[in-house]
Amino acid sequence: MSSEEKNPHAGENTGVVALPANTAWPVVLAFGATLCFASLVMNPGVGIAGIVLVLVALVGWVRQIFPHEHHEEVLVVAHTTIATTARTEVGRIELSEIQRSYLPIESYPITSGIKGGIAGGIAMILPAVLFGWLTQHSIWYAVNLLGGAGAAYWTNPTTAYIAAFHWSGLLIAVVIHAVICLLVGLLYGALLPMWPRHPILLGGILAPVLWTGVLHSVLWFINPAFANRIAWGWFAASQLFFGIVAGLVVARTGRIQTRQPLPFALRMGIEAKELMSTEQEDEK
Amino acid sequence: MSNLQSDLPMPIQGTLESEKARRSRSTALLEWLQGWLVTVDHKRLGILYILYSIFFLLVAGAEAIFIRIQLAIPNNHFLTAEVYNRFFTMHGTTMVFLVGMPILFGFANYVVPLQIGARDMAFPRLNALSFWLTAFGGMLLYFSFLGGGLYGAGNAPDVGWFAYAPLTARTFSPGNATDYWALALIVSGFGTLGTAVNIIATIFSMRCRGMTLMRMPLFTWLYLVVSGLTLVTITPLTAAQFMLLIDRYLGGHFFDTQAGGSALVWVHFFWIFGHPEVYVLVLPAFAIANEIIPVFSRKAIFGYPAMVAASVGIMFVSLGVWAHHMFTVGMTSVTNAFFVLSTMLVGIPTGIKIFNWIATIWGGRVRFQTPMLFCLGFLYQFLIAGLTGIMLSVAPMDWQLHNSYFVIAHFHYVLVGAIVFCIFAGLYYWYPKATGRMMSERLGKWHFWLFVIGFHITFDTMHFLGILGMPRSIYTYQPDRGWNTLNLIVSVGGFIQGIAVLIFAYNFIVSYFKGDVAGDDPWDAWTLEWTTSSPPPVYNFAEEPEVRSRRPLWDLKHPYDTDWEYEG
Ligand code: HEM
Ligand SMILES: [Cu+2]
Repeated sequence: MSSEEKNPHAGENTGVVALPANTAWPVVLAFGATLCFASLVMNPGVGIAGIVLVLVALVGWVRQIFPHEHHEEVLVVAHTTIATTARTEVGRIELSEIQRSYLPIESYPITSGIKGGIAGGIAMILPAVLFGWLTQHSIWYAVNLLGGAGAAYWTNPTTAYIAAFHWSGLLIAVVIHAVICLLVGLLYGALLPMWPRHPILLGGILAPVLWTGVLHSVLWFINPAFANRIAWGWFAASQLFFGIVAGLVVARTGRIQTRQPLPFALRMGIEAKELMSTEQEDEK
Repeated sequence: MSNLQSDLPMPIQGTLESEKARRSRSTALLEWLQGWLVTVDHKRLGILYILYSIFFLLVAGAEAIFIRIQLAIPNNHFLTAEVYNRFFTMHGTTMVFLVGMPILFGFANYVVPLQIGARDMAFPRLNALSFWLTAFGGMLLYFSFLGGGLYGAGNAPDVGWFAYAPLTARTFSPGNATDYWALALIVSGFGTLGTAVNIIATIFSMRCRGMTLMRMPLFTWLYLVVSGLTLVTITPLTAAQFMLLIDRYLGGHFFDTQAGGSALVWVHFFWIFGHPEVYVLVLPAFAIANEIIPVFSRKAIFGYPAMVAASVGIMFVSLGVWAHHMFTVGMTSVTNAFFVLSTMLVGIPTGIKIFNWIATIWGGRVRFQTPMLFCLGFLYQFLIAGLTGIMLSVAPMDWQLHNSYFVIAHFHYVLVGAIVFCIFAGLYYWYPKATGRMMSERLGKWHFWLFVIGFHITFDTMHFLGILGMPRSIYTYQPDRGWNTLNLIVSVGGFIQGIAVLIFAYNFIVSYFKGDVAGDDPWDAWTLEWTTSSPPPVYNFAEEPEVRSRRPLWDLKHPYDTDWEYEG
C-alpha cells in the first residue's frame, strides 16, 4: 500500500479518493457455495462445478488483496453545499407555571416505599395467621392458601390438607409474599409523588381498596381454588393493615427534594456538562 | 474471468456518460449490469438488497392473495390442500427471510456508513459476498418449485415456516422440498451472518471524528444491537438445519422421537432462533421510526439515552422468552411461569420506547408527509400488537388461542402493522437520497390510506376469527362454523392492501424517471447522509466530516443555537 492509501476509507481531500476496486469474486464465490449446497439435492455434477467455482473465486479473491489490495482512484468532484434551512426560527416548548405547580417540590424517596413494603409485609403476617387460627385452628392455613397458588401439583386439596404444615407450601408462600410485598412497595414508592402529602391515605386506604378490588375480580381466573376459600373481609382487613404500616414507615422517613426544580435538560438525563457548570457558577 | 476484476471504470454518473456515446447500446447495458454485479459499493449493495426484497415482497404478497382467495368462502376449491400448504409455507419463509431480513439489511447498508460519515462498510468485499449469498439462497428456495419436482417427488416446501418435527422427517416429507427449505436458509443465513459482522465492525471502527457512541444516530445504534442479536440467533437455526439434514440423510435421530431423539428439541431450537428473530426484524423498524419521527416533528428525539438503554434491554430480554411459543407442548408449571414473566418483561423497554416517541411528537410542529404517516400508523399498530402479545403471554390464555387466527393476527400486526409500515416509511424517506428524486406525495398518500384501511379490515377481523376458534394453516372450513362473513371481510382487506402495494410499486418506478428533483436535503433533516449530494458520490464524503452532537446538520443550520451546547 502506498502511503496515500493508508486508510482508503478516510483519506484527506487530495482530489482523488482510493476506494476498493470492484470485483467479481464475491458473486462467484457465493454462486459456487450455493451450488455446493444445492448439489446435495441435485446431482454431483452441480457440486463439482460449485467446488471449482469456490476454489477459483478464493484464489482470485486472495490475489485481489495480496500483496496489495486493489483500489480504484476516484476523482473527487467538488460538491460544496452549505446545509441551510428555511426554518431558522427555533421555537421552545413553554411549560406554563400552572402545569409545574402540580409537580411536587418535595416527596418521599422511592426507597421508602420499598421499606414500607417490607415492613407492611412482615406486619401483615399477623392478621393472616390470626385468620387461620380463628377460622380453622391452624396457623398454616393462610400460608398454604397462598403457597398452594404456586404449587401446581396441589390439585383440589382438602381443608385438612391445607390446614396442615407443608414445607413446599411454606417456601412458596414466603417467596410469593416477599416478591409481591417488594413489588407493591416499589409501586407505592413510585406513586408517592402523585400524592406526596398523604402517604398514609394513599398507601393505607386507597391502595388496599384498589388491590382488593382487582384481586376480587381476577382471582377466579388466576386461581379458582384459592378464590373458593378466600374470606374477603379478612383479606381486605389484612391489606389495610399492610397499607397502614407501610404508610407509617414512609411517613417517618424524611422527605427529599424532587428533581422538579432542576432544569429540564438535567432531568431528562442529558449529560449537560455546560449547563451544570453554568448553574453552579450562578449559585456561587 | 480475471478481466472482470478491477480495471473497468466504475460506472458512476459522469464517467460512464462519455463512453456511452462510443459504444453501442447493448454493450452499455451489459456494462451497466456488470457494474452492479461486481460492485462492492455499500450504496449499490444496499439498493440491490432493497430491490431484491421488494421483488420478493410482491411474490409473497401474491401468495398471500392466493391464500385469501382460497379462504374467502367455505369449502372452496381454488387451491388444493397440497398447494395451499406450499403457499403458506413459502409465504411465511419468503416474507421473513427474503423480504424482512434483506430489506432491513439493505437499509443498514445504504444508510449506516453515510450516517457515521464513512466511505464504505468495513469489509466491502464481504459485503458483496453476503448479499450474493442471500440472493442465491432465495433463488434456491424458489428453484424448489422446479427442482423439488425434477429431482424427486414433491414440490415447494410445505411444512410451515417453522417446519416442526416430525413432519420434516423423510417418512412424512418425501422428495426434496424440505431439503430445499433447509439448504436455502443455510445459504442465506451465512449471508446474513456476514452482513451482521460487517455492520458491527463498521460501526465500531469507521465512525467519523467526534462521533462518540452516545452521539451516534439512533438508527445506527439500533443496527448495532440488531447485528449483535443476529449473530446469536441465526447460528442456532443454521445448526438445527444441519441437524435436520443429518436426520434426513445420514441416519441421525436428533428429532426422531421413536429412535430416542426428541421432536421438542427442534421446537426449542427453532424458537430460540425464532423469537429473537422477530426482534431482529422489529428493531430496524424502530430504527427507521427513530429517524423519521423527530425530523417530521421538528424536535430532537426525546430521551436518547433511555432509547439506547431500552434497545439494549430488549435485545437481552428477547433472548429469554422463546418458550412462550410452546405453552401448549406441556412444560412444567415453573417453566410456564418463567416464560410468562420474562415475556411480560419485554413490555417495559418497549413501553419506554412508545412513550418516548409520543413525547417526541408532543408539542412538535408535525408535518404529515408520507414517511410520517406510515410512522404514525406504526406507533398505533405496534401498541396494539404489543398488547395482544401480552395477552398471548398469559399461559392459560395461550392454551385457548395458540395456533388460532388470533396468533396470526398478533404477529401480522407486528410484521405488517409495524415492520412493513416502517419499511414503507423508510423507502419514502431515503428514496430521494438514493435516486435524487422525490416519490409522488399524492400517490404516497393514496398508498398509505388504502394500505392502512386494508390492513385494519384484514387483521382486526382476524382476531375475532381466532377467538371464534378458527385454527391457522387450514386450507378450508365448513360453512356452519360461523366464520364465513369474517373470512370474506379478511380477504377483501387483503385485496385492498394488494392494490395499495401496486400503487407503491408504480410510484417507486415512475418517480425514478419523472419525480421532482430532490436536492441534497429534501426533508430538512439532521443526520450526515443529508450533507452529501443525492445520490451521493461513490466516495460519500469528499472530506471526512466531523460532528459535535447527535444532530450535526442542526448545528450547521442553527449556528447560534447548536445542540452541542446542551449535549456536552
Ligand atoms: C411485547 C411484545 C410481544 C409479546 C409479549 C409477544 C408475545 C407472543 C406470544 C406469547 C406468542 C405465542 C402465541 C402462540 O403461538 O400461541 C407470539 C407469537 C408470535 N409473535 Fe409475538 N409478542 C410480542 C412482540 C412481537 C414482535 C415484536 C414480533 C415480530 C417482530 C412478534 C412476532 C410473533 C410471531 C411471528 C409469532 C408467531 C409465530 C408463529 O407461531 O408462527 N411478536 N407472540
Ligand atoms: Cu416470540
